[in-house]
Amino acid sequence: MNKILIVEDDGVLCKELATLLKNAGYETDVITDFNDPLSGMLTSGADLILLDIGLPGANGEVLLQDFRKKKDTPVIMLTSRTNDVDEVISMSYGADDYVTKPYNPTVLLLRISAVLKRSRGSLQGRSYKDIAVSPVKGSLTRGEKEEILTKNEMIIFELLLDRQGEIVSRDEIMTALWDNDEYINDNALSVNISRLRAKLTELGVPEAIETRKKQGYVLR
Amino acid sequence: MRIRDYIKDRKVAYIIGIVAYAIIILFLNAYKTNKQAIIVVTVIFFMAVILAEIWNYVRKRDFYRHLDSALSELDKKYLIPEMLKEADFFEGKVLYETLSECCKSMAEHVSGAEKKAKEFREYIEMWVHEAKLPVASLTLMCHNSDEPDEKMLTQLKRLDDNIENVLYYARSETSEKDYLIKEVSLKKTFSAVAVKNMETLQTLDFEVRTEGLDKTVLTDGKWLEYILGQLMANSIKYAAKERSRKLLVTAKESEKAVTLQFYDNGAGISKADIPYVFEKSFTGENGRSGAKSTGMGLYIVKSLCDRLGHGISITSEKDSFTEVTITFPKNDFYFAG
Repeated sequence: MNKILIVEDDGVLCKELATLLKNAGYETDVITDFNDPLSGMLTSGADLILLDIGLPGANGEVLLQDFRKKKDTPVIMLTSRTNDVDEVISMSYGADDYVTKPYNPTVLLLRISAVLKRSRGSLQGRSYKDIAVSPVKGSLTRGEKEEILTKNEMIIFELLLDRQGEIVSRDEIMTALWDNDEYINDNALSVNISRLRAKLTELGVPEAIETRKKQGYVLR
Repeated sequence: MRIRDYIKDRKVAYIIGIVAYAIIILFLNAYKTNKQAIIVVTVIFFMAVILAEIWNYVRKRDFYRHLDSALSELDKKYLIPEMLKEADFFEGKVLYETLSECCKSMAEHVSGAEKKAKEFREYIEMWVHEAKLPVASLTLMCHNSDEPDEKMLTQLKRLDDNIENVLYYARSETSEKDYLIKEVSLKKTFSAVAVKNMETLQTLDFEVRTEGLDKTVLTDGKWLEYILGQLMANSIKYAAKERSRKLLVTAKESEKAVTLQFYDNGAGISKADIPYVFEKSFTGENGRSGAKSTGMGLYIVKSLCDRLGHGISITSEKDSFTEVTITFPKNDFYFAG
């Protein structure tokens, strides 16, 4: 289980963020001492840090710069300041992503999982059961058999695979597709899922994707 | 200053001079002075007057000519004292002193007002920052509850949009450079806007299509996101009622510029209203008949585009379509702004 450290001084928001992350299956940790947040960040052993820019007494950007000198744990900056200057500074100080408040929770979770995936460097060589998944080639291979997935089908399959065994809601799948510049509607999503099912059946894994009424889909 | 103006100005002095001369001649005749002496006096008198007048005219002419040309060349007229040489005659000195005093006092006044405006804007920025925290908390609370309340989320999004409007109105009204021009991906910016409006677009069964958005443009990413957000909000607000709804976003690149076309097949704008849509507080036919309109959206969009140096134009046909085109000129053009 991945551990995420939240560095956010607004108590309520911090608590809600922690709940959101826990519900999504992450372990969470929060910083309570804002006199020296840096040492808390360095000692937490988290896999990813959510860092607010406007902290009392300290600027998140400066904090990030100091942190980067010692560790390269992925950091996502959170801020309610919508201007490009902050974003550019944050990215140049080594932030992995930048999300503005009020964030769409689904998007935030997608970003977190994307950053975590990138930091693990797991873009190649993933597999589902004995099927090799190649997002770069857009293909699923089992032995001799190969099925080519469309961009949409690959996004859906990867999302399900990331959370294998868990329910992934239609809303989450839809957000992931839209976030990738694929503006499909509800019907098209159903079509994509059934095509993906057919391709998995071809590869000899029928009923890999299970439908949960009114909840979403599970990859078994 | 022409010679005629000068003579007109000196009219009274000349009349006094001529009267004085006439009296002198009268006296000289009365004392039976000889004719030659009178001619000498006449020549000396007129020579002296003419020389004095030429000298006076020339120095004044130089000063006023300089003033005239400086005034017509200056873009900011209030800088005129900086351009003037101090005059060597009384009125010129007074004029110079007066202008300098006026400008100094106006500069103080303006800088006071600017400082106030700046402080106000900084407060707005801070206020927006503060106001977004509870919105963020509420959004998460809604999402975290066992049964996420869509209605509440919709209202929260409305609240957030309204907060953004204040921020960008404040940004569009100040003269300070508070944006950052860099390479921005159209695809990324549009998808952020689309995801924000995903629920509404799907509820209304919009068909969203994009073409050629894999380009980058020179702009401020956050400002562009707001601009596209406003355009999308309009497309949603004035969506077609009886046809299947479409939203088509296309980018094209030419040598000089990238153009972004934002097309919807919604209610459209009547011909009479088109020239005014970018004006402040203009609501027009659509604003009166259907959805509530403040007349601020497109005005802010236009001011932001102007400040970023982008062109914006709109074509539309009532009950058929609306297409907004934004032009992003390439590098060499940009720096003119």
